[in-house]
Amino acid sequence: MIPYAIVHTTRYRYSLPVPHCQNEAYLLPRSFERQQCQTSQLQISPAPAVYQERADFFGNRVAYFAIQEPHTVLEVTASSTLMLRPTALPSLQASPAWEDVRQALVHDLGPEKLDARQFVLDSPLISADPAFVEYVAPSFSQGRCLLEAAHDLMQRISSDLTYDPDFTTVATPVRDVLHHRRGVCQDYAQLAIACLRSLGLAARYVSGYLETGPPPSLAHQAGQSESAQLVGVAASHAWVSVYSPGQGWVDFDPTNNLMPTDQHLTLAWGRDYSDVTPLKGVAFGGGTHELDVAVDVRRTARLRFRE
Amino acid sequence: MSDVDLAVPTPGHTSLFADYQAPAGSYDELCREPQQPRSHWEYVIRSLEALGPQELLRREQEVRRLLRENGVTYNVYSDARGEGRPWALDLLPTLLTSQEWRDIERGLIQRAELFNLILADLYGPQQLIKKGLLPLHLIYSHSGFLRACAGITPPSRRFLFSYAADLARSPDGNMWVLSDRTQTPSGAGYALENRLTLARVFPSLYRDAQVHRLALYFRTLRNSLATLVPQQREPGRTVLLTPGPGNETYFEHAYVAQYLDYTLVQGSDLTLRDGRVWLKTLDGLQPVDVILRRVDDTFCDPLELRKDSLLGTPGLVQATRTNQVAVANPLGVGILENPALMAFLPRLCRELLGQELRLPSVATWWCGGEDERRYVLAHLDRLVIKPVSPYLPRVTQATSDTVFGAQLSAMEREALIARIQAQPHRYVAQEYLPLSTTPTFADGKLVPRPLVLRSFLVARDDAYVVMPGGLARVAPGPDSWDVSNQTGGMSKDIWVLASEPEQAVSLLPSAEQPVALTRSGGEIPSRVADNLFWLGRYTERMESSARVFREMLLRLLDTEVVNHDPYLPGLLSAVTHQAVTYLHLVGQAGNRRLMAKELELLAVILEPTKSGSLRSTLDALLQAGRSVRDRLSDDTARVLNALDQELSPHMRLDQTVESLTRVVSGLASFTGLSVESMSRGQGFRFLEIGRRLERTLHTISLLHTACEMAPGGRGALWEVVLAMTDSLQTYRRRYYTQVDAQAVLDLLLHDESNPRSVGYQLARLQEHVDGLPRQATLPHRSPAQRLVLQSLTALRTTDIEGLSQAVWEEPVYETLDELFAQLGTFLLALSDVLSRTYFSHIEAQQQLMEHQHDSLRHRPYDPLSL
Repeated sequence: MIPYAIVHTTRYRYSLPVPHCQNEAYLLPRSFERQQCQTSQLQISPAPAVYQERADFFGNRVAYFAIQEPHTVLEVTASSTLMLRPTALPSLQASPAWEDVRQALVHDLGPEKLDARQFVLDSPLISADPAFVEYVAPSFSQGRCLLEAAHDLMQRISSDLTYDPDFTTVATPVRDVLHHRRGVCQDYAQLAIACLRSLGLAARYVSGYLETGPPPSLAHQAGQSESAQLVGVAASHAWVSVYSPGQGWVDFDPTNNLMPTDQHLTLAWGRDYSDVTPLKGVAFGGGTHELDVAVDVRRTARLRFRE
Repeated sequence: MSDVDLAVPTPGHTSLFADYQAPAGSYDELCREPQQPRSHWEYVIRSLEALGPQELLRREQEVRRLLRENGVTYNVYSDARGEGRPWALDLLPTLLTSQEWRDIERGLIQRAELFNLILADLYGPQQLIKKGLLPLHLIYSHSGFLRACAGITPPSRRFLFSYAADLARSPDGNMWVLSDRTQTPSGAGYALENRLTLARVFPSLYRDAQVHRLALYFRTLRNSLATLVPQQREPGRTVLLTPGPGNETYFEHAYVAQYLDYTLVQGSDLTLRDGRVWLKTLDGLQPVDVILRRVDDTFCDPLELRKDSLLGTPGLVQATRTNQVAVANPLGVGILENPALMAFLPRLCRELLGQELRLPSVATWWCGGEDERRYVLAHLDRLVIKPVSPYLPRVTQATSDTVFGAQLSAMEREALIARIQAQPHRYVAQEYLPLSTTPTFADGKLVPRPLVLRSFLVARDDAYVVMPGGLARVAPGPDSWDVSNQTGGMSKDIWVLASEPEQAVSLLPSAEQPVALTRSGGEIPSRVADNLFWLGRYTERMESSARVFREMLLRLLDTEVVNHDPYLPGLLSAVTHQAVTYLHLVGQAGNRRLMAKELELLAVILEPTKSGSLRSTLDALLQAGRSVRDRLSDDTARVLNALDQELSPHMRLDQTVESLTRVVSGLASFTGLSVESMSRGQGFRFLEIGRRLERTLHTISLLHTACEMAPGGRGALWEVVLAMTDSLQTYRRRYYTQVDAQAVLDLLLHDESNPRSVGYQLARLQEHVDGLPRQATLPHRSPAQRLVLQSLTALRTTDIEGLSQAVWEEPVYETLDELFAQLGTFLLALSDVLSRTYFSHIEAQQQLMEHQHDSLRHRPYDPLSL
C-alpha cells in the first residue's frame, strides 16, 4: 500500500459581493478495494452556515454546503490522506470477447452486471451518435478480447487527439471533440466512454488525481534536488473505467495512453463529468467571477521525511 | 325512466338533436343507437329542448362572457399573442352515471396506490428491477428518473400525493387510461371554474340534475397538504409554486392559490437559509413548510437538477432530503409519466398489490423488448409511436413527439424504423383507440365530438380521494384524434349524476373547526409588491394618456377646430411627449398635415408593438394585473379583463374615441374597487405609491408643456389642461372666470385639497412611504422618506406670485422649470430607491464556473525509463 496526501484548493473571486451561495462538492475520496481513504476534510472560507455530507446514487461522497455571509472570495480546500494498493496490470488476452460482454450486459440479472448496465446508457453529456460507432470499429474487430480492444482504442484516442486546454469547455459535446480531435483529459475520457457505449459496453467516468513528480527515493538517486518536486502543477484528472466480467472494472487513461497502476488516485465515479463535478454552485449577485485551482499530490513518506 | 325519442321535438321548437349522427365504429356517450339516447341523459335533454336553440345560443354567449370576465385563460406557446387566450367551455356537460363512476373511481384509486408503491421501490430498494419485473434501462434512461432523489422518503411515505389520468372509452364501452399525469397534474382548477360557470348559466338544471359536487376534492387537497407540515411547526405555511405568467396554465395556478388561500410564489421568491426554505417578503424572510408545486421537478433546483433552470430554488432537493420542507408532488415522480411503464402495470399490480389491474391502460408495447419490437415494426400502421422520454423540456413542446403510424409518408416511416432500431428502448407504441363521442354545442345544434376525460386524485390519510367529475376535452373536429388544448380543442364539464341529492360542501370552515383569527391575510412576496407598484403606475399612465388622446381626437374630429385651433400644436406636442414616439406632428406645418396623419395617430393609440402606444401600455397593465391575479378581488380582476376588449387594432377614429371613454371609466372602476376592496396592507400601499408617483410625473410633464406653449398664460390651452386632468368642473365652481394660468397652476400644483394636484399626490405618497416596513433600529428617515419630504418642500416653497403678470418674465420661467426638474429628479430617484429596498430581493442567480478535468498532460513518472 502506498500512502498519499492530496491538497486541492479551489478559489472563486467575485467582482461584487455574493450574499449567499449554495454548493455541492465531490472532493472527498471514496474508498474501494484498491484505495482506502484515511482522513479527509473540507476547509471552507467563509465558514458555511450549513454543511452536510452524504453518499450519492453511485456511492460517492458528496458535501453540500451553504454560505450565508457576504463574501468576495470563496475558498474550498480539500485535504485527504489515503492508501493506494498498486494494481497489477490485468492480462488483456484473458478477458472475454467483447460481444459476449455485450450479451451478458443485456441478459444477465446478477447484481454486478445489473449495476454495470446503467453505464451502457446515454448520460447527460454523452449521447449515442453514429460517429462513435464508426470511430470505434477498427479497434473492436469480431471476437477480439474486450480489454485488448479497449487498450487499442485508448492508444488510438491518445495519438489521434491533440491536447489543447483552450479548445473545449466543460460543456463541449463529445461529438465536437471527435470532429476536431482536440481537448483535455475530460474530453479524452468522455470520447472513450462514448465509443465503448456505442458498442453496448459499460464504461464509467472516473474523477481523481495523478501523481506527476518522481517518487522520492528515485529522485534522490538520480541526483535531483528536493525542489524538483513541483507543487501545485498537478491537477485534477479524469480517466475511464471499463466493465469486464470476471475482472471487474478496469481503468484506462487515454490522455496518457496507459493503464493506471499506482499513481492514479480516485475521487468519485459516475456516468460522465456532470455526475462528479468536483465543485459546483449557484451564487446570487456577485457580478463576474474568476476561478483558480491548485492541486498538490504527494507520497506521504516523503512529507514525513521533509518534516 | 324511459328513453326519450329525439325525433319528436318539444312543441314550438325544432329538435336540437334532429341531425345528431354519432359516427359508426365508436361509442357515443349520448346515443345507444341512432336517435336513441341513454336514459341518464333524459333529464338534461328535455331541459335543453325546453329552452330552445335561441335561448341556448344566448346562454352560450353568457358562458363566453363569464369566462372572459373572470379572466379564465390558457396560454398557447406557439402563439405570439397566445398569452391569455380565453378558455373555451362547451355549453353541454358530458354525463356519467353513479354506477359507471364507481368502477372508474375504484380503478383510479387502485392505480394511484400501485404508482405510490412503484415510486417507493424505484427511489428505494429497487426490488422490481433486481427481480427482473422492470427492465433497468426502461427506468434509468428516462429523463424523469432523478438520481438526486434516490433515498429521499417523503412524509408518511406518500411518494405520489396527487395524480391525474386521461381516460377514453373504447367502442365496447370500457374505459381505458390513455396517459398518466403525475408531474404537476393540471386541470383541476379549470374543472372547478367550468363547474361554477355552468352552474350559473343553468342554475335550475344544475340544481335538479343531482350532480356530484367538486368542493370535497379541494377540501381534501388542503387538509392533506396540512398533514405534510412537520408536527412541531403547525400550522405551517404552504405556498403554491408556479413557473410564472408565461406558463400555459398560469390562470389555474393563481385561481387555485386564491381558492385554497396559499401564497402564489415563483422559484425566485423562495430562498434557502439554515437548511430551510423561506419566502422573501416585504417584512423579511418567512419560513415555508409545504410547497404545492406546478413547476416540473427537473426545473425545481438548479444546484442538483437542471442547471439552466431559472424557475427553481437552489438547494431545494437538499431541503427535502433533510425533511426541512415537503414538496407535493415529491420530486422524482416524473418517472411515472414514462408511457412504457403501462406495458408492465398488470404484472406489477399482481406483484405489489396481489390484485388484477382494474382500469386497463391503452395497449402498449415497449420497443426495448425483442418480441414487442418485432410486433411494433410489423404493425406500424395501426399504432401510435411515442418517445419514452420527451426530448425537449415540456415548455417548448407545442404539441408532442407522438406520431400516428398510418399518417407517415414512406420516407418518414423508414426514418422512424431506423430510429427505433438504433435505440429501441427509447420508443413505445400504443394502440390507436377510437375515442367515444359526446354531444357538443356548435352553431345552435348538437354534434358528436371525440372525448377525453381527465380525472383527479389526491391522497387522504393512507388512501386516495377522486374528484367526482373532472375536466373533459373534445376535439375541434369530428375525426381529430389529437384532443389537446394546445391544438384548439374545447373543454367540457363532467357531471356524475348522483342517485341522491348531494349536500353542499364549501371550503369555508365548518362549525366544528375553530377559525384561527388572522389580520394579515398572507404575506406579500417582494415580487408581488414590485408588480403591484407597476400595476399602479400603468393604471395611472393609461388613464392620463387616455384622457389626453381622447381630448385630442375630439378636437381632430371637429374640422372647424382643426383649422383654427391655435392650441392644437401644443396638444400634439403633449401627445408626443406621452407617446414617446415622435410623429412629426408638431411644428409649423403641423396643422396641415394633421388629417393625413390620422392613420399614424391611430397607430400611436392602437398598435400593440409600438413602444409608448396606448395599447402597449394597456398590455403591460394587464400583464402586471395577471401576475398578481391572486391579490385582486374577483370584481377587480373582471374590470381589468373587460379592458382587454378595448382599443382593438381595427377601430376607426370615432370608435376609438368611444373606446377611450370606456377605458377611462373602466380604470375609474378599477381604482374605486381597489380602494374599496383591498385591505390596507403593504400590497395596497405599493399600488397607491405607483399610482401617485405616476400621476405626479404626468401632471408636471403636462404643465411643463403648457407653460412652454402658452407663455401668455391665458386661454383655451389651459382649459384643455384642466379637461385632461379632470379638473375643469372644480375650476369653474371655484373661479367662475376665464381660465387663467396662475389659477390653474395653483389648482394643479399647490392645492393639496384637489385630488388631482401634485401637492395632493405628494401628501399621499408621504403617508404611504411612512407606512412601509423598515428597519426598526433605523433612527433617521429612510432614503425614500427623505425624497418625498424634499419633493413636498420644493413644491411648498415655490413662489408663484409672478405668474399673474400678463407677460411672463424670465424669473417665472426659471422658477417653474426648476421646480419641475427637481420634482422629476426626486421622484425618479424615489422609484429607484423603492425598487432597491423592497423589490431587489430578486437577485440574479448564476452558476459558478466549473473547473474542467484538465491535468496538464504530464506523463506519470515511469521508474523504468530512468
